[in-house]
Amino acid sequence: MRIGVEPSFLSKVERGEAPPPSEAKIVALAQELGEDQDMLLALAGKVSSDLQEAIRKRPELFAALIRQLKDAPDRAVLRIVREVRDGNW
Amino acid sequence: MIELSRDGLAVRIPEVHQDAEMCIDFQRTLRIPDDDREYPLPAGLGRFPLRHVDDFAARVPQQWVEHGGVMLPMYQSEALWLNFGGSFYPFAVKIAAGKINAVTGEAWRDGLNRHPQDYLAIPEQPWLDGYCVEKGIIRQFVAMPLGSGYSAEEQITGEAEHGGLQIEVYPMKREAYERLIAQRGRAARFDTGEAMALGAPLGMAFAPGGRMRQEIYDDPYRLEDWDLRHRARCFVHIANSMVWRSITGQAPPTVPPTAKEYQQAGIPWFEYYSDGAKAVGGSKILEKLKSVTQMGKQKGDVPLPDNESVEPYRIVELRKGLKKGQVREGVF
Repeated sequence: MRIGVEPSFLSKVERGEAPPPSEAKIVALAQELGEDQDMLLALAGKVSSDLQEAIRKRPELFAALIRQLKDAPDRAVLRIVREVRDGNW
Repeated sequence: MIELSRDGLAVRIPEVHQDAEMCIDFQRTLRIPDDDREYPLPAGLGRFPLRHVDDFAARVPQQWVEHGGVMLPMYQSEALWLNFGGSFYPFAVKIAAGKINAVTGEAWRDGLNRHPQDYLAIPEQPWLDGYCVEKGIIRQFVAMPLGSGYSAEEQITGEAEHGGLQIEVYPMKREAYERLIAQRGRAARFDTGEAMALGAPLGMAFAPGGRMRQEIYDDPYRLEDWDLRHRARCFVHIANSMVWRSITGQAPPTVPPTAKEYQQAGIPWFEYYSDGAKAVGGSKILEKLKSVTQMGKQKGDVPLPDNESVEPYRIVELRKGLKKGQVREGVF
């Protein structure tokens, strides 16, 4: 198929007979299917490498942040997302 | 609120409804020949990289910092289209280039107007490729340096002040949305589918390029269904690709293919049909604009390299609900 994975391999993954595909393949699969890549990575027990890199860069800060927010409701988490700043135009 | 997510603008208005989400990304594409023939829709060749202006505040013009928003890189005479995706939740989206409305040609004003309709109704409108110059015909958004006299903004106002793209988004009112999903039964997911150093001019503006068949759909809802109390807006600055690396330290995308290379590579073209949807008329103001080639002739300049006409031969028909590149299932 278009992402360079044989259908038989995917079917083995679905049946639990093969380990999940690599991050790159999962991301390609998510784009092909129009699904969220973080969601598909999580289903495969993985965390995107850019998130891992962000945590490794500032481990104490991000570890504390994630632990603090892990049980917070979605709307509370969304409140701290970085917004695109709108200026004067 | 608007968040920058994977080189796209993720719009969320949770205070109106938890389903009120959509995204806008900016697709690289072929610049169609500016020869007064009418072309079908070219394919998307991937998203332009998108960055917060604030992250590079020391290296961009002060005016960009004042406007806020995001920026993306484009080569001179490169084209772009806007891709609207996300959920089934309806949004009214106003698009201007250089603060000239891309649907009506009028100067920027806040709010929504129906006569003439100065916005796009999403998800009915999956894409926008340019200025609405006639009913069913747009002239492609083509990047030209701000101040060179080619942009719609400069042709209409005589000033080279703003450049870039301006986007304003209004969600449907919660009550109107709930009526809508009650009518439709369920809220099914709808897939719409270096510079200063080189002396290159930094800011780019959009000028009208070649003619393309694309309808701007009439809003199927009532004006009072839109929630004017909750809006999100974003200024999208266009940086010349030649200066992108000096601003961001990152390489800009490669130069897009010419129409001839596009044909030789066998990349398909698209015609989009939305059964039952009505198209709005073209703008009399935008219709009078000179295209980049026409303006170049007047200036004694050749602004568009590789502008030879082509005969599109692989044309894929798309129906509402399918994405560019998505395979349509026929009857068999």
